[in-house]
Amino acid sequence: MATTATLTLTSSDIAGDPVNVSKTTTCTKAGGTIDLDQSTGMNRILLRETTNKLLLGATAGGNDLSAKVYLINKATDPTQYVTVTINAQTIGKLYAGDWMFFPWSQTDTSADIEVAATSYTTAGGAIPIEYCLFHEDSIRLADA
Amino acid sequence: MATTTATLTLASTDLLSDALSMTTSATLTTAGTSTGVTQTTGLGRKTTTFSGSGAIDTVVLFRADDYTADGANKIYLKNTSTTAAEFFTVFLTGDRATDVHGNADPGLTEIGRLYAGDWAFFPWNATGGTKEAFTVTIANTWAAGDTFVFDGVTVVAADSTLNNIAAQIDAAQYPNWVTSVSSAVVTFVSRYGNAGIEIDTSEAVSTTAGDGTGAVATTVSGTRSVADIYIKPSVHTAMTLEHMLIHE
Repeated sequence: MATTATLTLTSSDIAGDPVNVSKTTTCTKAGGTIDLDQSTGMNRILLRETTNKLLLGATAGGNDLSAKVYLINKATDPTQYVTVTINAQTIGKLYAGDWMFFPWSQTDTSADIEVAATSYTTAGGAIPIEYCLFHEDSIRLADA
Repeated sequence: MATTTATLTLASTDLLSDALSMTTSATLTTAGTSTGVTQTTGLGRKTTTFSGSGAIDTVVLFRADDYTADGANKIYLKNTSTTAAEFFTVFLTGDRATDVHGNADPGLTEIGRLYAGDWAFFPWNATGGTKEAFTVTIANTWAAGDTFVFDGVTVVAADSTLNNIAAQIDAAQYPNWVTSVSSAVVTFVSRYGNAGIEIDTSEAVSTTAGDGTGAVATTVSGTRSVADIYIKPSVHTAMTLEHMLIHE
């Protein structure tokens, strides 16, 4: 059940020589070579809340297990961004079109992934985001 | 304006009953604009090694105070190990006590573990801490040859004029502080947010032949950064993390 994630980073002009990084990882369970075998599937929400809202709830059953989060801000207005936090601490802001792919340790039940449409305005409209979790813990029906 | 593109391809033929095939690209821009980011640390590698009998410490990878807070910064990390059980844990500094995981790392927020071959790409808000600040006021009678010692730097007064001595102190370069001067008052600001420092005249030492003084007064109490990126290898033996920061 191999799931692969490939990152390609390219720039011809951010440095004196071109940047061209291409890396592929096969998403495996923690500490082994067995493939991750569960996923929430792709989800899409229209975010209007300017305060943190739960995106993925950490479960104690996920401790020490492997999980990968994919999240993208599908807005096209460059001023519309989403703030992403873990354990109520800000990781960063996803601006329009930005995506992130990162491992998620469910260190405890406080290690939730939350998002906020910090720049939301009525005029600008809701910010569409899409996300998917690849994981191995089985106690995740709430997010399925 | 530089054009930097980050593309993600997710693929699986058998995770689901239908094939998963998704590609998305982002052109990396500065916060809230369509202008491309123009700065990068370049692609680098960090190898960690620890004594076999000691504890494995965290290692600072990026300090938030070195970069633009709330900028559209992006971090790329990859664990280059080929041993499946070897992982790097990636942390944000902060005030959370996330030690229930067995990491015993209160003060750090664990983001996740990069197992062998895993990579991550994520935005980073780089919110640094408050930088400690204090003033040194050069006063009374100083003479040529009197000294001011701080942060491992010794300044020897070239003459007896207070403003000149203050200017000399300001002109010196300190490993952990930056300075500015106004008349006979020198202001020191720490390079990094830090809650654990409080400078007084036992650290900023003025030694004069007469009654010259260098009174120290704290003007800003520092706080720790809440967004430095730390990493921690899972084994004492050498592990290498590949990294790059693209930033404003």
